[in-house]
Amino acid sequence: MSPVRHLYAHLPFCSSRCGYCAFVVEVGNLESRDAYLEALLAELALEGGVLGPLDTVYLGGGTPTLMLPRRLGRLLDALSPWLRPDAEITVEANPETVDARQLEALVEAGVTRISLGVQSLQPHLLAALDRAATPDQARAAVACARAAGFSGVSLDLLFGVPGQTPDDLRRDLDEVVRLAPDHVSWYELELKPGSALAQQGVAAPDEDAAADAYRAVVHGLEDEGYRWYETANFARPGHRCRHSLAYWGAADYLGLGVGAVSTVGGRRWRNAPGVGAYADALGEGRAPRRSHERLDADTARRERWMLGLRLDRPLQLAWAGPPDRPEALPRLRELGLLEGPVTDEVRLSREGRFVQNAVLGELMEYA
Amino acid sequence: MQQSLIRNFCIIAHIDHGKSTLADRILQATQAIDEREMRDQVLDSMDLERERGITIKAQAVRVGYRAGDDRDYQLNLIDTPGHVDFSYEVSRSLAACEGALLVVDASQGIEAQTLANTYMALESDLEIIPVLNKIDLPAADPDLHARAIADLIGEDPESVLRVSAKTGAGVDEVLEAVVERVPPPSGDPAAPLRALIFDSVYDQYRGVVAFARVVDGEIRRRSRLRAMQSGLTLPAEEIGYLAPEMSPTEHLSAGETGYVVTTLKSLGELRVGDTLTLDGNPAEAALPGYREVRPMVFCGLFPLDADDYPALRDALERLSLNDASLVWEPETSQALGFGFRCGFLGLLHMDIVRERLEREYDLDLLATTPNVEYTVTDTSGSVLAVRSPVELPDPNYIEVIEEPYVRATVLVPHEGVGAVMGLCQERRGSFVTMEAIEQRQQVVYDLPLAEIVLDFHDQLKSRTRGYASLDYEPVGNRASPLVKLDILLAGDAVDALSMIVHRDTAYDRGRVLVERLQKTIPRQMFEVPIQAAIGGRVVARETVKAKRKDVLAKCYGGDISRKRKLLERQKEGKKRMKQVGAVEVPQEAFLSVLEIGDKAS
Repeated sequence: MSPVRHLYAHLPFCSSRCGYCAFVVEVGNLESRDAYLEALLAELALEGGVLGPLDTVYLGGGTPTLMLPRRLGRLLDALSPWLRPDAEITVEANPETVDARQLEALVEAGVTRISLGVQSLQPHLLAALDRAATPDQARAAVACARAAGFSGVSLDLLFGVPGQTPDDLRRDLDEVVRLAPDHVSWYELELKPGSALAQQGVAAPDEDAAADAYRAVVHGLEDEGYRWYETANFARPGHRCRHSLAYWGAADYLGLGVGAVSTVGGRRWRNAPGVGAYADALGEGRAPRRSHERLDADTARRERWMLGLRLDRPLQLAWAGPPDRPEALPRLRELGLLEGPVTDEVRLSREGRFVQNAVLGELMEYA
Repeated sequence: MQQSLIRNFCIIAHIDHGKSTLADRILQATQAIDEREMRDQVLDSMDLERERGITIKAQAVRVGYRAGDDRDYQLNLIDTPGHVDFSYEVSRSLAACEGALLVVDASQGIEAQTLANTYMALESDLEIIPVLNKIDLPAADPDLHARAIADLIGEDPESVLRVSAKTGAGVDEVLEAVVERVPPPSGDPAAPLRALIFDSVYDQYRGVVAFARVVDGEIRRRSRLRAMQSGLTLPAEEIGYLAPEMSPTEHLSAGETGYVVTTLKSLGELRVGDTLTLDGNPAEAALPGYREVRPMVFCGLFPLDADDYPALRDALERLSLNDASLVWEPETSQALGFGFRCGFLGLLHMDIVRERLEREYDLDLLATTPNVEYTVTDTSGSVLAVRSPVELPDPNYIEVIEEPYVRATVLVPHEGVGAVMGLCQERRGSFVTMEAIEQRQQVVYDLPLAEIVLDFHDQLKSRTRGYASLDYEPVGNRASPLVKLDILLAGDAVDALSMIVHRDTAYDRGRVLVERLQKTIPRQMFEVPIQAAIGGRVVARETVKAKRKDVLAKCYGGDISRKRKLLERQKEGKKRMKQVGAVEVPQEAFLSVLEIGDKAS
């Protein structure tokens, strides 16, 4: 088994749960942060054997910055034996939780990349999402991040927010372009079961409105020199997220912390949520409660297709393996959803990228 | 058993008027079953019968009853179905009885169905004992309805019994009335055997089990029997009666009702309506039988998964074992592949068969729009039966198309008459007659059966707020100006969506249908035009737009499994779709035609 080169750590603490959130988060309970950090380090010690030189580290949440730079620094110190000198180290942050001093401290601790959860720069949309930050705080956070010297600044945004008009989206696009991040992740809001919005019965926008918004985002960012390099991700040259690319390339990764998922050598496991039980188990030197899944060859192949078709580059058949229904290929090309000859690789057309799920459904059996 | 101590009777009632509940009470009152074994609708053995509250098959149960005169009687209760689709089964039951309980809901009064079956009973010379049920209901108006019933059968309102099958009140009086008023059977016990087969079922272990009413003579166990019409001889492996479970006996004598276990392997071999006699001592003449049942409604049944075709064939074969009225033959559709064109007694029968195929045989089926059987005379003078729109010849070669008509009788409160007449007019009906029956009007129209098959009953119910009841009987074929309406998906005609419609309504039907299909068919990877065409000329068009966005919003290390499972679930949804050419069409689309409602009129 080749050594794992990508590591994710989940930092679940949040000051409140946002209306659209169905992630594993820990609201309040900040006094557990030290115990949680110790548990993370213990899980690292337990699983570190699979690690090779780390190419990327991603500290996600939750709100990782609630851990404060000193705890994040300790985590990175613990990882230092594995870190390659050019490792990409990303931290997620909510704009209202960071200031210039903290961001400098993160850079000092070795963080190279920051992903700011902006979501929108319109006050009424931030309110609809229960986001705590104001547009001004978002703008200030970007400025501070720039000043602190991260080599990559990324912004997270949403479309399909209840009440978001095409003009609202246009304004967000204009403002994002003015803020000039290196990287943008712009997602359609998912009304996940379990989120407050879903429970309130908020309806998803209709298919055409959502398609218009999605296309406006893609066009708007491309016009400003961002590359639409993945379904929902855009980057200036040289700024693709290497950690995410590892996921989309079906690489192995180790995930630490509550709710974190690891995929190593055909095995996948997910740590159970619940900070208390997680810390208790690791405090006693045991692995936390986990659910396990074995990826057989067909499942792995279908996952490579699912992930690989998200990217702007052609899917190499030598890497991904054959589709389940190659007979669908000519028709998909006739429909203009695939381009070029399908000998060694499959290339989605631009239109095909917008309906990649449907293309995937034609080519693959997910059963 | 002495014939003077035997009473054979059935119960005639509209759906929901309490027939099965009253039967349950009779079984309880005569201790045919004890409290412990009691469950609702004991006689309705199929799950579907119990769930839908309908009786499909006729059955005969024997109970013992010590009457007020202190004598022990043998009562044979022959259950009858209450739906128009199964009215032929009613006529069979009637022929095995001397009396009938006419059960009417004391709050609802007489319904069209009851009326039709009562006439049938009167024609068969049955003694009718009118019973008002549900007298415990606050809305009951027994006096009013007793007068109406008395008028109908020409008796004194005082003779109408009043019961509550729910509480059990009045049930004993019903049993006494059966003993007192229903005449005992009058066959000749010494004559050669004549027994009328009024129903049969197939049992996978015992073969065909015939239910018969012995008219003359007697059947002994192990007698060698002969079916007089078919000439077939068969052994009486076991004979007995239902009490309500099968109870073997040594002989069934004149006047009695019971079952005969044969070794026959299919119902087709032993026709209901045939007369059983002794092979060694045959009777001279058979009893009058029944007219043969002909299917009235046809539709295509196709497996959603083509691999299920053999399983569907097996399932149809098995259902046919117990349902001689179900007919089917292989059909190939360009759009749907291999399936079967099936003929049914009516829409309910169709629904029941489909549901049983899906439920008991675990098949996913696609049913095409039901249609009736047309008789087409072509320009060369030959006549052909058209059971599917695709069989309709090119219009240039059609001399005349005839379609089956029915005489429909609707009973409705006076204020609903306008609505009923409006509906009948819209559905190409021609007025026959109208008369008042107590507080209601009996409206009679001749209508094309095709119009009833569509959604007539639903419309009738909704336009009269549920107060109208319907019965109909075939009155032969009539020539009509009919045309074939084709539906094209992405430019290709879909044979399974074609229908035969009246020339004057074809345009509206086409328009409504494409609108409905446009709403039913989900977006595909390409734009799908939906067109309606009459004789090659497009009369309506809608478009299903192409998908413009179909992506998983985000997918990182933490949700790869979840997203993969999401795709798996989407795949499950796709399995409920039928690939028609390049277009994925959901099952509902093929029934859109049925829900045309007011808009097409």
